Order: sequence, then C-alpha cells, then structure tokens
Amino acid sequence: MTYSELDPEVVQWVEMLQSPDLNDRLVAAKTLQHLGDEDTIESLIVALKDDSPKVQEIAVMALWEMANPIAIPPLLKCLGSTQPEAVRVEALAALKEMVSPDDLLTLLDEVQIEDETVQLNVLILLRKIHDAQALPYIAPFFESKSPALREAAVVTLRYLNQVVRFEPALALASDESEEVRRSAILTLGHLSDEAVVPTLCQALTTDADWQVRRNAAQALDLQSTPAAIGALTSALEDEHWQVRKFTARALQRVADDTVIPSLVKALSDEYSDVRRDAAIALGNLGNPEVLSALKQTLDDPDRDVQIFSGRAIQKIQDKLAETTHA
Amino acid sequence: MALTTQRVDVPVIVDESKCLEKCTACIEVCPLDVLVKNPETGKAYMKYDECWFCLPCEKECPTNAITVQIPFLLR
Amino acid sequence: MNIQNLQTDFLVIGGGTAGTMAGIKAKQANPDADVLILEKANIRRSGAIAMGMDGVNTAVIPGNSTPEQYVREITIANDGILNQKSVYQTGRWGYEVIQELESWGVKFQKDHEGNYDLKQVHRVGKYVLPMPEGKDLKKILTRQVKRHKVRVTNRVMATRVMVKDGRVIGAVGFDVRKGDFVVIQAKAVVLCTGACGRLGLPASGYLYGTYENPTNAGDGYSMAYHAGAELTNIECFQINPLIKDYNGPACAYVASPFGAYTANAEGNRFINCDYWSGQMMLETWKELNSGKGPVHLKMYHLDDDTISEIERVLWANERPSRERFHEGRQENYRTHGVEMNISEIGLCSGHSASGVWVNEKAETTVPGLYAAGDMASVPHNYMIGAFVSGRLSGLNAMEYVQGIDHVDPDPAFLEAEKARIYAPMNRPDGVPHTQVEYKLRRYVNDYLQPPKSPSNMEIGLAAFERYHDTLDLMGARDPHELMRCMEVHFIRDCAEMAARASLYRKESRWGLYHYRLDYPEKNDEEWFCHANLKKGENGEMEMFKRAVEPYIVDVNLEQEVYDVAVR
Repeated sequence: MTYSELDPEVVQWVEMLQSPDLNDRLVAAKTLQHLGDEDTIESLIVALKDDSPKVQEIAVMALWEMANPIAIPPLLKCLGSTQPEAVRVEALAALKEMVSPDDLLTLLDEVQIEDETVQLNVLILLRKIHDAQALPYIAPFFESKSPALREAAVVTLRYLNQVVRFEPALALASDESEEVRRSAILTLGHLSDEAVVPTLCQALTTDADWQVRRNAAQALDLQSTPAAIGALTSALEDEHWQVRKFTARALQRVADDTVIPSLVKALSDEYSDVRRDAAIALGNLGNPEVLSALKQTLDDPDRDVQIFSGRAIQKIQDKLAETTHA
Repeated sequence: MALTTQRVDVPVIVDESKCLEKCTACIEVCPLDVLVKNPETGKAYMKYDECWFCLPCEKECPTNAITVQIPFLLR
Repeated sequence: MNIQNLQTDFLVIGGGTAGTMAGIKAKQANPDADVLILEKANIRRSGAIAMGMDGVNTAVIPGNSTPEQYVREITIANDGILNQKSVYQTGRWGYEVIQELESWGVKFQKDHEGNYDLKQVHRVGKYVLPMPEGKDLKKILTRQVKRHKVRVTNRVMATRVMVKDGRVIGAVGFDVRKGDFVVIQAKAVVLCTGACGRLGLPASGYLYGTYENPTNAGDGYSMAYHAGAELTNIECFQINPLIKDYNGPACAYVASPFGAYTANAEGNRFINCDYWSGQMMLETWKELNSGKGPVHLKMYHLDDDTISEIERVLWANERPSRERFHEGRQENYRTHGVEMNISEIGLCSGHSASGVWVNEKAETTVPGLYAAGDMASVPHNYMIGAFVSGRLSGLNAMEYVQGIDHVDPDPAFLEAEKARIYAPMNRPDGVPHTQVEYKLRRYVNDYLQPPKSPSNMEIGLAAFERYHDTLDLMGARDPHELMRCMEVHFIRDCAEMAARASLYRKESRWGLYHYRLDYPEKNDEEWFCHANLKKGENGEMEMFKRAVEPYIVDVNLEQEVYDVAVR
C-alpha cells in the first residue's frame, strides 16, 4: 500500500514510524496501535524489526489488537532466543489469541527449528489447536535433554484430542525432574495404556515429591478404577494434607468397605477439606456402620464439614429406608 | 465564596525526563480523564485527584514514564 | 459555547460491555443504518470491565446446564422477584454470545479436550467460565466496533434523554473536554451506562475508591427516570464482600479451586457458597457481628507453589493493582489472610436486581428507549447478561426504527437543559463538586446502609430532597469539573430512589440487600411483587407495586429456600 492510499489521519504516523529519532518512532507506534487502522499492518510488521525493543513490543501489541492472520508468521519469528524477552512474551500472548487450526502446518514447521525457546513457545501454541496430527512432531521432545521441553511436550500431549495411548509418556512418570513428573502424571490421568494405573499407584505411594503424589491422586480420580483402591487407602495416611484431600476425593468415586477405617480416621483430620471430602466418600459408600462417626462431625467448627456430613448421613439413612421397604 | 488550595498526594506520578511531548497515550486511555498536558512543558501530569488505580496509563506509556501508586487513603 | 447537532438512527449511550454489543448487533441487523456510540471516556478503556475481566459468571453451556436450570437458580437466588422471561434470555443467548466472542478472538478457559472448563460457584450448577487470557476484552470489542463501522464519539457525557409525544427522540449532553453542548437526534436510544457505583462512600473515604468503575455514577438510572421510564427493585442494593480498603473482589471463586476459602477469624468456614448473594452477605454480616470477625480469604494453609499459582492468576487479572496494594502493607498470602469487609451500597442489576424496568426485548416503559447491562433490571446478569441485553436492544431497536422519522427537539427543553448543565460554570467560586459529593455519599452511608431502619431512612430522604438546593451551590472551572458536577446530580437522584424504595417495601428480602429492622421477615402475602417507581405527573417520585409476571419455569419457592448456611 502506498502512502497516497492511506487515510490522511494515519499517514503522518506511518512516516514517523521510520524516523531516525527513537522517541518519534515510539510515539508513532503507540499512536498507530490506538488508531487500529488495518491498512497500517505492513508498516507495523516492518517495525517488528526495529532497532528498539520497545518499538518492537508496541508493534506486537498493535498487531495483536488488529488480530489479522497476516501477522501470524512474522509474529512467530519474534519467539526466538535472540529476541528481547519482553517482545517474546508479548508475541506469545498475541499468538495464543490469534492462532487457529489453519495455522497447524506453520506451527509444525516452526517446532522443528533448532531453538529451544521457539520450540517451547510453539509447544504451548499447539495446545490451542488440539490436533492429533501434531503427535509425531512432539514425540521427539519426550527424549529431549532439556527438562523444560520434556515437560512442555507431555503437557501438550494432554491437549491433543483422540490421543488415548502413548507409551513414551509413561517413562516420564519416573523422570529425574520433579516438574516433568508432576506434569506427566496429570497427563497419564487421560491415557488408557495398560500400565497407566499401576504407574499412577506407584507414584501415589512412593514418589518423593508430594505434588507428584497429589497429582497421582487427581489422575486416579479421573481413571476411577477399583484397581487403585489399595493405593488410595494407604495414601489417606500421606504426610501431606493435599495428597490426603485428593485421595479422599478419588475415593468418593471408587471405594469399598475396606477403606472405611481409614476414611473414618480422616474425619478427624487437622484439615477441614480432608474431613469434608472423607465425609462425602463415606456417604457415597452408604454403610450404616459409619453413622455414629459421621454424627460426631455435625458440630465441626467448619460449616462445609457440617453441611456435607449432614448430607452424607441423610444419604445413608435414605438408602437404609429404601432397603427396609424393599 | 472563599476557596483554599489544598496539597494532595496524587497516585499517578510522571517522570518528566521520560515523558514525550508528542505523545498522548496515557491521556487517551484514562477512564476518568484525570491526566492532561502541562501547556508550558508538554509533559503529562495528574490534574484531578480522581484515580481508580486501574493502570492503563502506566501500561500504555511507551517510555515507562508513569508510576501509579494506590491512592494514599487506601494504601 | 459551541453547539454540536448530531443525527443517528440508533444512539447507544455508554460504550461498555452492553453498549459495544448493542452497536455491533444493530449494524449486523442493518449495515445501512447509522449507529452512534456515545462514551464519556474512551471505549478502549471504559465501563465496568475497563480494567479487564477474568471470567464470566452466567455461562449456560449445552451439556453443562440448560436455560431452564439457570432461570430456576436465579429465581431462587433472587427470592422469586423477577421477570423470568428476561432472565431466560441470558440463558438462551449466552452460549451464542460466548461463541461469537470466541470468533472475535476472546479466549475462554478450555480443558484438555478443548471443551469449556466450567466451574461451580453457584449453589447448584456450573455457570462460571474463567477467561485467564481475557483480560483485554475491551480491545477486542473496540476492534469489532471499528470493523462493523459503528460510529463512536468519545468524551461526551449524556445528561438527559429527549422525549416528545411519549416517545424517545434523542439525547443531550456535553463534551467533557471542550465543553460543547451536544444535541443528538435519534430514532431509538439504549441506555447502558452501568451501575450506580458512586452511591455509598467507601470506608477509605476516597470518592473514587469504589468497586465499580467510578465513572459509573448512575447516569442511566437518573436519565431513564427523568425520561418517564419505570425503575424496579431499587431497594435491592448492591453490597459486596470486598478486600477491605482496596474495595476490589477477593476473588474467592478464582482461588477456591486451589483450596482457598472465606473464613472467620478462627480460620473456619462460615458459609458454604462463594457466589455473591444477599443471603451470603447477611451471613457475612452476622459473622462480623458475632465476635468471630473479621472475615478473610484464607490461603495461608496452602503451600508455596499453589499460592504462587493463585498470585499469578490474580495479579494478571481483573484488578492488576492488587499486588501493589498488598505489597504496600507488607502482606503476604503465605502468612496473612486477605481481610474482607462489607462494601458501601450501590445500585446494579448485574450483581443484585436494582435497575431500569425492562422486558425480554430490553424495552423500557418508554417507546424507543431501551436499557441494557448493569443498569437494566435483569437480576444477577453479570457480563454475559450485559452482552445478551445489549444484543437484544440492538436487534429490537433496529426493528423499531423502521418507518420512524427524526423529530425536532423542543427549543424550550434545550434551553432549560443547557441552563441546568452550565449553571456551575457561572459559579467558578462555588462549592467544589468533591465536597458536595462527599457529603451526599456520607449521608447515604449514614442513613441507607443496611440493616435499614425506617427513621434513619426518613432523615436520609429529607436530606436528599434538601440537597437540590445544595447542588445549586456547586461551582465548576472547566468542562471536566462540570462532568463531575453533573454526576453528583445523578447520584442525588439515585439516593432519593434508594431511600424511597427502601421505605416502601415493608418487609425484608434478598438477605442483607433489603434487611429492615422493623420488618425482619419476608412477607410474600403483601410483597411478592416488584416495587416500581417513576416520575409522576406532578414531577414527584411515585412508588407502586407491579405484579411478578407469570413464571415460565416452575419453581417451588416454599421448598427451595436460598440458604448458604444450611445445616
């Protein structure tokens, strides 16, 4: 587009964007951002390569606000390790809003660029697209030397629709990095390989990191299988209360009478969330033997515990009445 | 009627050494329209003590010349 | 003084959430029509969501809930007093709004499969949809306004809607920078000026330290009233549990999925539901008065990583200055609860139910006048409701304007309004608006803050009536000060409405929102109705009952008591 075709209101700013004076370029970029005239996109794309990181950053913001897909490829070029951090952060935020399934092939090209920063950012963007075609392209990162890339890849895997089995993810459950294990365990909650449940039970009961154990309880909640009852029962004694809390939650969906003593013990846990979630689990189990234990929590200092334990009692009594009538 | 001028601690502080004369970014985005240019210096300042501490002025400033404090009475 | 005369088919007063959507929808319905948004700030950053928004509260997504379930929940939460057909619209069209926003680039939180990641915050049902990356929603709306070629006039504040022969013919106002008198002829007008957020005075004493964007001074409540429209449920105040002094939301609903909760001084929960309602506020008020106060948002039982994650979400979102506030007080979530208290009162249908009466087409009782967003009486409507009502007003107004011609304004009206607006400029040494506003809002606190006592409210009402004379003492030295002066006029009108409506409804309802010490119980026999008000023939404020429209979704209010503290 030549100047003569531009709105007279914007021409002066487009010219000023090329001024040798940095302050002028800053004002011009900012003004163009506020004007939001799509005819200035080309000039703003050029400004992505300005000498000043601040001008680049404002150009990214301006292109983000216009949200024209033409700007996606040049913005992707702002994600690399040679870019100033502020520009990279802003460009990633912009692209998270702008990318669509149409950009899949472009992203898959970018993820093969030998630059860890680019690869990390593109793995994040692929989560916005949910396309299983990305799987072969993210697979190599499961064996990357970089823990950050292994972690990003296993998180992205969770976002790919239709992917239900992927063995390399299992290995990351015993990765040397806690961050990787925490994410891998959560992803396993969504997979159905045979080894998933035993792996999660193992992590729940033996991992040294409590957040890994907590995530394993959450993942087993998703899996919802009786095969996990044993591991969940012992995890009710975990030293960290959040592990106990999410374990009690998982036991709301699968449990049998063998868990009752541990759940009753959890009714007097130091943490109200554990007490509440244990009360719900006991209500769901429906065994009248626990009624007296539940009644003792009706004057719990925490309102939630009172309410949910009242409901659990009601549930057990309703079930009892039903069986008596039948 | 008798009026007096009171000193007030204002939330929006402009670093005049960084503020650009040609720029009006902060003034345009302020929902309460409390910022204006000093006609003598061309620098922005907070003319009216009516701030919602919402920060767009600070975020939009291309030279990081603006700092917004929580208004003194709330701080 | 310059006079600007403008003409448009459809005038949108207020370019916030509802207003931008009203303009866009009107242009989509009829691209040839002229649509003008009038905004007293700049639509890039204006309205209730000027700072950003971190989620939506009333998302009815297929597979998660139905419009019928949503109507039931709001019927119960609002103690039965509502027009179900209007509430149904929010449930009916909310999903389409979300999809359209998404097509414009707004990102809502999705789970790993790409489905909307809804959270339960209401007593029953999942309606809360986080948008952690949606903080700059206003930019996206501005872009769409531009793309749809809706005209925008920034920095002009409307002061009155013009009505002739019983229908709307436009509005008048002035340029808050240049001072020009602005007369706009329009075939239809929608008021979407947001809440009356500057009614009560915050405990900090800072006039603009409000929960709502302080530009939202009740402009539309006052303008609708003077145009002859009915208002409803004004006694159902907006009162929120907020971070003490900071006056922003503690965002228990953002932090609760991470394990945070609202607790009393002993660290125990005292309510079961973090969804804001009058009932929740009454429980909070009782707890504060029980010796177990103050109450706080409790996170100090959580671990460092979880708290860091909560901070990351909170700092980036609805109130970015929150981090600075805590820092200044050397408070840390790892060791300190976030002290909360009960806010000053406001009017806002987005949160409670007080607003300009509208039907399911967003029509007020004045032909050609529509209302949308926080100021339109659709209870608990929040942001999605604002979009839906904006949409309804835009689409219905485009049908209404067909075959309608512009009407010349009455010169006598224009002269009188010009004289009223500019009077403070003739008194540059008059009392500053800050002092006049401070005293007015202190009276609101002194006499209207619940629990409500009749003698107090009578004293308040007399003070608000006398305040007409005080307004005539106000002086302004520039158009900016003039804007603030005219906002004080709006606030006075809202204060009088709040006092009269609260005195009129002789029962208690909506928890703390309308808790009367002399009538502490709910009385369905006499008061299962709206308390409406309008400007009478003689220019005095009239109160009257309006029956609740027949329900379209069956709800048994006897059994379904909204109780957030049940045992």
